[in-house]
Amino acid sequence: MPDGCSDLDSTRMFLKARLLTDRASFHGYEAERQQIHDLLERTAEHGESNSALLLGPRGIGKTTLVTTVLVQLLSKETFHRNSLVVYLNGLIHIDDRIALKSATAQMNLENAVDGKVFGSFAENLAFLLECLKAGDRKKSKSVIFLLEEFDLFCSHHNQTLLYNLFDVAQSAQAPICVLGLTARLDVIELLEKRVKSRFSHRQIFLLPREDGFEERLELFGSLLKLPTEQEVRTFAATHPTISQDVLNNDELALLRNLFNPRQYSLPSKWVTQWNRTIDKLLKSAEVQTVLQNMYEYDVLEGPFRMQLFELVNGLDDEHPAITIESIQQLGERYESDDKVKLLAGSSVLEICLVIAIKHHSEIYDRDPFNFEMILTRFSKWANSSSSMQGIERPVVLKAFEHLKQLEFVAPLTGGGLAKVQKEYQLHRLLLTYGQIRQAVQRMQFLPTEISQWEQSSLV
Amino acid sequence: HASQVGTPKRNIQLSNIIEECSNGRRVSRLLELSPKKLEPLPIEEPKTPKRNSRLSSVGATLPSSASKGTPKSANKMKLIRDGTIKPNIHSRDAPVQDGANELAVARERLHVSATPSSLPCREKEYEEIYNFLEGKIFDGCGGCMYISGVPGTGKTATTTAVLRALKHLSEEEDIPKFEFVDINGMRLTEPRQAYVHIYRQLTGKTLAWEQAYNLLNKRFTTKAPRRITTVLLVDELDILCNKRQDVVYNLLNWPTMPTAQLIVVTIANTMDLPERLLMGKISSRLGLTRLTFQPYNFRQLQEIVMARLVGMSAFNSDAVQLVARKVAAVSGDARRALDICRRATELADDQAKKSNESVTVSMMHVQQALTEMITSAKVKTIRSCSRLEQLFLQAVTAEVTRTGIEECNFLGVYSQFESLAAFSGIIVPNPGRAMAICARLAASRLLICECGKSDIYQKILLNISTDDVHFALQASKLL
Repeated sequence: MPDGCSDLDSTRMFLKARLLTDRASFHGYEAERQQIHDLLERTAEHGESNSALLLGPRGIGKTTLVTTVLVQLLSKETFHRNSLVVYLNGLIHIDDRIALKSATAQMNLENAVDGKVFGSFAENLAFLLECLKAGDRKKSKSVIFLLEEFDLFCSHHNQTLLYNLFDVAQSAQAPICVLGLTARLDVIELLEKRVKSRFSHRQIFLLPREDGFEERLELFGSLLKLPTEQEVRTFAATHPTISQDVLNNDELALLRNLFNPRQYSLPSKWVTQWNRTIDKLLKSAEVQTVLQNMYEYDVLEGPFRMQLFELVNGLDDEHPAITIESIQQLGERYESDDKVKLLAGSSVLEICLVIAIKHHSEIYDRDPFNFEMILTRFSKWANSSSSMQGIERPVVLKAFEHLKQLEFVAPLTGGGLAKVQKEYQLHRLLLTYGQIRQAVQRMQFLPTEISQWEQSSLV
Repeated sequence: HASQVGTPKRNIQLSNIIEECSNGRRVSRLLELSPKKLEPLPIEEPKTPKRNSRLSSVGATLPSSASKGTPKSANKMKLIRDGTIKPNIHSRDAPVQDGANELAVARERLHVSATPSSLPCREKEYEEIYNFLEGKIFDGCGGCMYISGVPGTGKTATTTAVLRALKHLSEEEDIPKFEFVDINGMRLTEPRQAYVHIYRQLTGKTLAWEQAYNLLNKRFTTKAPRRITTVLLVDELDILCNKRQDVVYNLLNWPTMPTAQLIVVTIANTMDLPERLLMGKISSRLGLTRLTFQPYNFRQLQEIVMARLVGMSAFNSDAVQLVARKVAAVSGDARRALDICRRATELADDQAKKSNESVTVSMMHVQQALTEMITSAKVKTIRSCSRLEQLFLQAVTAEVTRTGIEECNFLGVYSQFESLAAFSGIIVPNPGRAMAICARLAASRLLICECGKSDIYQKILLNISTDDVHFALQASKLL
């Protein structure tokens, strides 16, 4: 059945592309979006200088919002002829030197040739400032600075870059707009007082709405359903294409490879059939429970999209549709404890050591321990047990080291302790007692005496 | 025999290379000619000096016309350092039109960059700086002045206004001519770049700082009969202070030389900077001519805003008063007051767009702008957290009340979390997932956490007050 397979393949490709690369269609947050749209438009068209911060938790869609606005604006002739977009990221441009070089190259100033910038840091800064000073509100192009991970720019030496950008935005020079994006809500407190005074204190918060679970169900539907012909057409109408010459800025990778539903051809019969299964899923109580659990844990859309990506990834010839079972599996994976799994996979000797450590911790209220203490406790039990006799000390030490490498135990930090021999180094247990109990219950073929020892420390 | 054939060829190529080095544009023509005899070269020759002269006279056009490669960029950098290439930014398609409606005009006037010609409420300070500078310029001697005040109180604006007025007077030859140089500590990558910037403003050339220092030193310490006074404005003085303080020393030492005729005006934020940060010999050179700019009180802020809106009815005067009172109570920063007013005009503009009738900025818009720009969103953030995140925050507050210490560790919080979750009938997430919740809250700085390496022993600090948490969660189902 090659035809059905190809439909499934293109469906999978379509859904994956939409989950990952659909950066231009951002829904909700109309007021915030309008505010940023107006801000950038006023900068480009009226030559107004501005500065603003976009704040919100990670995964809420700050970058997506800005990309959406830029896609809308850049398709307009009046905007892209009159403005330059400079994209800086705090994780890439780790100091002012690199940030300045990148900004100079993106603005294509006189001292940049083919993206290579000449001169020292001091010269670059002086030249950039002179250029901005030479411009005026009416005649020169507006420059829009996007500073992603804005809080990292605050840790640069003297905050030179931020001071200068904000200073230009507050003086009669070339019109610029500084838009910072960050997850930290208290980012303003990181600014130096003179930088803070120059910042216009326009803060736009993107916060998850308290609408509740119904919206999450809707989102689930809209992310997994396939669009009908008509919906594709409306999508094309509301998402203008950007001409190629606008995208000549190499650093502005956000706007490249945008999602386009017209690349995928899906027969309408298949689409209605697929959408019907999704509708059916939405009504089932099991699916709703799984989604409810996820929702109570995390209300943000970004992580939820990743979960759905996993779900779509499981589609193949043997599983041609999303089923209740696959969603339940996803939910189980979502809630499982990785440390318990890791512990359940370790050897019997290692689990014995962990139990010994647990008993020690219970008796001495999580006091630190060293290898000798654990070995004594372990030997006391091993000598009386039937299956663990005659294990030599180096073997136990090796097992202990392995536990350390897996970070079930961690050495106490402190300067003087580094010189201590490894048998006497103090450690702490990085597991809760509940996790150890679960692992012991889950381990297969564990001798009964070990699980009995786990219950009580009396030998 | 073969070598005899080879040699002339190589000669031609060599000459090509020489030509390429001397002048980038003729290469292609020469290459095309080279298979023939060297006959056309004499015809070419008369052209060469002409083009050369043109190139040297209009140096700035060379880089754009030359081919890609190192000679071009090296040339360009040289031209920038010489000051031949003027720094410039791309120009737009058509110049911006002025705002049509009254609100747009008001917004333009309220922008911080639209400095008025006379600054309201700073007349006394203006007078003082003016008298100091005018006296020094007339006498032809040097001196220092130190100006301090919190950001946004009009220090730089007043000083530059004084200098603008003096410049105007000197052009009309009412007072002696003087040169004006200004540097800003925050615009320098390191303190020593100050020499480079001063020298560039005096001559237009960019040098290394050692050379610039030597030349400046020579200029200020040797006697010249027809020297005119130099006024040097140093903004953000505290940034120029490094450990050795040699730059500040030099800048303040030159005015003491009788040959220099240098007047230095320094600006910084803290009042006691000379005593706190500078060495004794430097603060003694800085002298006692000091001026402090007080933060604006609400009447002054109101006057400043109203002065920008003269002859307009876009603003309700009560609205301006509210802004002035709010800002004066916090910082007395004029920039803040202007920004809030500007935001209020935007809000009014939005409303006007919606309702299609003209709107004046009223109390309501200002109130909205104030809440947007002054209040923090912590309570709102807590309200919009997921249910388990809220529960975790509650667990932290419970642990704080239990131990009585601000700082608690993850293990304690987790046990509280478990019991709270059991109480409200939720499945408890395992420690790993609880730690992810903790990390998420720390990323938006509701909590302050240690790095993740210490795992379940990491210390957690509440970055908001416990009252905030209780207040935010009152409406939620959890309490």
